[in-house]
Amino acid sequence: MLRPFFYVAPRTKAELLGILRDEGPGSRLLAGGTDVLAELRVAGKAPKQVVDIKKVEAFQGIRFDPGEGLSIGPRVTCADVLASPLVHREYPLLATAAAKLGSPQLRNRATPIGNICTASPCADMAAAFLALGAWTEIESARGVRRVEVKDFFVGVKQTVVEPDEVVTRVVVPAEMAGAAGDMEKLKRIRGHDLALASVALVKHGGKLHVAIGSCAPTPVVLPVLPVDAPVDEVKAEALKVIRPIDDVRASAEYRTFMVQVFIERLMARVEPQ
Amino acid sequence: MLENVPAAELSCVGRGVERIDTVEKLSGAAYYTGDLRFPGMLFAKVKRSPHAKARIARIDTHKARALPGVHAVLTGADLDVRVGLYLVDKYVLARDVVRHFGEAVAAVAAETPEIARKAVDLIEVDYEPMTPVLDPAKAIENGAPLVHPDLGSYDYVKEVFSPVGGTNIANLSKYRKGDVDKAFAEADLVVEREYTNPSVQHVPMETHVTVGQWQPGDKIQLWTSAQSPFTVRNLFCHAFKLSHNQVRVFIPYVGGGFGGKAGIHLEPLACSLSRAAGGRPVKIQATREEEFSLLPCRSGLVNRIKTALTKDGRILAQQMTMLWDAGAYADYAVNVTRASGYSAAGPYEIPAARIDAYTVYTNKPFGTAYRGFGHVEFSWGTERHMTVLARAIGMDPLEFRKRNALRPGSITLTGEVIREHTGNVTRCMETVAKAIGYGEELTPEWQQRELETGRRIGKSVVALHKAPAMPPFTGTAVVLRMNEDGTVIANLSLTEIGAGTYTSLAQIIAEALKFPIERIKVPVENDTDRDPYDWQTVASKGLMLCGNAAILAARDLLGKAYDMAAQVLRANHCDLDHDADRIFVRHNPECQVPFRALAVGYAYPNGNGIGGPLVGVGRYIAQGLTNLDKETGQGLPALYWTYGAHGLVVEVDPVTGEYDVLKVASAFDVGKAINPSAVRGQIIGGMIQGLGTAMCEGYIYDANGKLLNPNFTDNKIPTSLDMPAEIEAFVVETPQVDGPFGARGVGEHSMIAICGALGNAIQDACGADLTKMPIRAEDVWRALETAGPLLESSATIRNRAACNTRER
Amino acid sequence: MRIRVRVNGRDYQQEAPDHWTLLRFLREGLGLTGTKEGCGAGECGACTIIMDGLTVNSCLVLAPEADGTVIETIEGEAVAGELSPLQRAFHKHHAVQCGFCTPAMILSIKAFLRTNPRPTVREIQEAIEGNFCRCTGYQQIIEAVQEVTGQREGQEELGHA
Ligand code: FES
Ligand code: FES
Repeated sequence: MLRPFFYVAPRTKAELLGILRDEGPGSRLLAGGTDVLAELRVAGKAPKQVVDIKKVEAFQGIRFDPGEGLSIGPRVTCADVLASPLVHREYPLLATAAAKLGSPQLRNRATPIGNICTASPCADMAAAFLALGAWTEIESARGVRRVEVKDFFVGVKQTVVEPDEVVTRVVVPAEMAGAAGDMEKLKRIRGHDLALASVALVKHGGKLHVAIGSCAPTPVVLPVLPVDAPVDEVKAEALKVIRPIDDVRASAEYRTFMVQVFIERLMARVEPQ
Repeated sequence: MLENVPAAELSCVGRGVERIDTVEKLSGAAYYTGDLRFPGMLFAKVKRSPHAKARIARIDTHKARALPGVHAVLTGADLDVRVGLYLVDKYVLARDVVRHFGEAVAAVAAETPEIARKAVDLIEVDYEPMTPVLDPAKAIENGAPLVHPDLGSYDYVKEVFSPVGGTNIANLSKYRKGDVDKAFAEADLVVEREYTNPSVQHVPMETHVTVGQWQPGDKIQLWTSAQSPFTVRNLFCHAFKLSHNQVRVFIPYVGGGFGGKAGIHLEPLACSLSRAAGGRPVKIQATREEEFSLLPCRSGLVNRIKTALTKDGRILAQQMTMLWDAGAYADYAVNVTRASGYSAAGPYEIPAARIDAYTVYTNKPFGTAYRGFGHVEFSWGTERHMTVLARAIGMDPLEFRKRNALRPGSITLTGEVIREHTGNVTRCMETVAKAIGYGEELTPEWQQRELETGRRIGKSVVALHKAPAMPPFTGTAVVLRMNEDGTVIANLSLTEIGAGTYTSLAQIIAEALKFPIERIKVPVENDTDRDPYDWQTVASKGLMLCGNAAILAARDLLGKAYDMAAQVLRANHCDLDHDADRIFVRHNPECQVPFRALAVGYAYPNGNGIGGPLVGVGRYIAQGLTNLDKETGQGLPALYWTYGAHGLVVEVDPVTGEYDVLKVASAFDVGKAINPSAVRGQIIGGMIQGLGTAMCEGYIYDANGKLLNPNFTDNKIPTSLDMPAEIEAFVVETPQVDGPFGARGVGEHSMIAICGALGNAIQDACGADLTKMPIRAEDVWRALETAGPLLESSATIRNRAACNTRER
Repeated sequence: MRIRVRVNGRDYQQEAPDHWTLLRFLREGLGLTGTKEGCGAGECGACTIIMDGLTVNSCLVLAPEADGTVIETIEGEAVAGELSPLQRAFHKHHAVQCGFCTPAMILSIKAFLRTNPRPTVREIQEAIEGNFCRCTGYQQIIEAVQEVTGQREGQEELGHA
């Protein structure tokens, strides 16, 4: 049972931005709902209104612009990402990450943008976006701004997005098209689970990009390294950026260990194109 | 009963006929309790304690009562009613103190769930937190804070249990056999270790739910997702001092129980709210989070085992101290303690034993029955221990088990003599050993796999046994009624919680009547006003007791039909026979009368009637069982023993501890598989549920006793991707002389000992020595780094080191 | 809000509070109680239905979000009282025990087989990983699916030692 709230579903971006300008703080944005509704169910109180952004036509679609890169709208689900030949061809790591998220039912609803907006340290898509150097476009009635995904998270479940703002796109740069990458995710069972630790790794254009989930208050990314960096150096860099904790899912010690194992595996497995 | 009928003469028993309850479940037509709605029905919500232990200084319900739409608000102060199965220790709502995180302190019934939730939010409770006792070992120390200071004055079943007033010991069961001290003095080797299990949640997919109505005039109706309608009724009447005639319990379809719904749970609260609301029906359905801590779980266990053995692999004596972490209320835990105490040797002969099994109160959610009734938990320790012992003397663990296995002539812990027809555990072990290629070279594919992945493959075989845990005089009755068209309705009060027993009973009835199964109806819903008594749907005893009662009811019904037919056909009773449709004279088969003509009494052409409607009654009660001596545990507790074994193959990453179960083969001596497909379903379903315990399940608390993982996010259960890659299920059929068509129960057994199988196979693969449930990858990783705690035997330590580097 | 949905081929128009989930709307609004709640949190899959061709956890969809959609639930699976081939296979293979997970399981498999009519065992397992079943251990469910896809005939036997 959810506590009562109002439901609004603006049809246009302008309408949405107007609602957020006037009533942003009392509003909760709803995309796929897989995080939001699960959270509202156990929350002590409900927001005044839930604003469904899925009716905004402009938010649909996965598009590729040779200059800009791959643009994903807020309505796009993980299942859409998985079904996109474009993604599989040009940004296969995104498909890998989407496939690792949740169950089929969850992937049919969950959105990559929602995944980063929830800003859980274990967000599967976040690790992939970080490794691919993606950026977000954030809009409000005040205007548009662009924020790198690496600057997007500010704490556990906290982002730079203000109450009157909405993330309208996430963009993976064109330079990363064709990037070889893969991801490892530690779970408690083989079935759907949150990441206890995860590593996404990309080798592209002579560079090595590594992002790590569930090992700090936010998903984190290593400084860009040369593609032939020795494994030990990559692990050492990783140890500098992670700050894992002990919790019911795993110990900090095991997380630290597995991150290094994952780096070894991925370094050996991912072949630059 | 009928245990020697050759298979060729059976037309229904022994066949994997389709279940009688699936069509409605498949089409969404089956009504579970949560699907029911009644006119005027109110919805209840519960206010729960955030503390493990606290004094309730003040509860203010004024604002909640004033909220429009609220019909009843109750706190502990309104309900001076205690309930308990064996030990009456639990208030319906906490009074004065809360004893565990999540305990109910107040409840509201309102017109919508939203109003009820809001009213609950408006109830103000001031707590004075107190220091909880969380560790069962600390809880039994002198001077430990008491969970129940008044334990000494509580009512309990005195013939069976032994609570110790002034302590946290809700029960102590003792078992004594032979001269333990002498055996330890003479042993070649003594090994002592400790194994632990956390509390585990049953996770029926349908959470507990009840609709209760307490009408004016104290007429009470209950629709509830429960396993035992008569136990609900009995305990309810006992608690509220009502006549059994005043309470009617209906059981709609039940979405899984596994023991968690065996006793009485939300029913008193729903009915109390209904009474306070002037008799409107009140529905209360636990959320998944509430299922974890408002409702009970399975007790945790600390199991300390000390064994004396000879170098050539004979166990001489075993001493066990079992600390069952019952949580805040005794519920079934006292009986889990008793029943697992007398089984604690496993299916092995232990010449001398000293077992002390304690039920310990702590400030945690309380334990109840759970599929396996203690055996899943203690078998983790005993089956790990058997392998540790074998390795300590350099013997193959399967060989060691076979050498010590129970066989005809063996004496159990309680003094029972094992007979030829008790069953064959060795056969079970050999069957699964063969199925997994135990002791053989790895197959070329698996060898290749090891080379490619760097992972190591390990195998294990474990054995198990269990007898129904029940009062020695447990009885049941089945009533068969013939309809006008010659079809038959069977009324009984075992519940169909998913195990498929109703289908097996329909088969038994069909076979006993010589009718096709399509003519037998066993209504899935139960009603205490309609159906005859059954104690509970627990213990894997239903098929045997109800099956026997069903055979007797069939005979009774046929006897009455024959009486009428003898008169109609002017024949001797002894000259009659029947087929599916008619009774006839054997030497003159044309002389016949159809069942249809007898069903509601026979009518002559002129209108004269004889006989009357055909009703058959069968009653059956366990025979020859006794209570156990309180000092020695000697006596006869076991209706029968069902033996079994699992063989397991695991693949372990020796660096990270990640592992996958490649194969499980399981075998059980079921006496006779009445419905092989249903038996297979029980074997596989229970095995996976057991793997859940083994791999990932268990309660995790913080230092203050707050439960940290009361949900599926952090209490995982196995999914389809967690199945072993290969599964095989076998039965051995040593007929149970007093079982229906030779059958014995197997509902719980597949869950037992699988934890030990996993732990042993992992040790075989990579040397990790595990002593704690569950086994997560991280636990294997840690065990790879640090040797497990070996407490006494240095020989074992040396040996284990040698075993660690396995040769191939 | 007034919600218009097409459920199992029938059009409905009904008021529902904004904060109701689709699960609650189906069960309490439309009286279609075949869809079950096992957790309310998107973990167990007991509430799975097909919405516009895709399986969703109906506990994680708001009723107003379903406005204008086409929904399939378990109540639409048997046609004119006849079990579908998938239901018949479940029946035959003992793929149902307590039955609480069953409606959702059927819907997950139904949607899956539309896109993958001849799946491997692994693919079947992946398709139902979001549907917990506490009773069966999944094995007989997978066998039932294989019967429907023509990859298996007859029941798997229980071994007799
Ligand atoms: S009830 Fe919806 S996923 Fe569990
Ligand atoms: S049959 Fe009971 S949960 Fe699947």
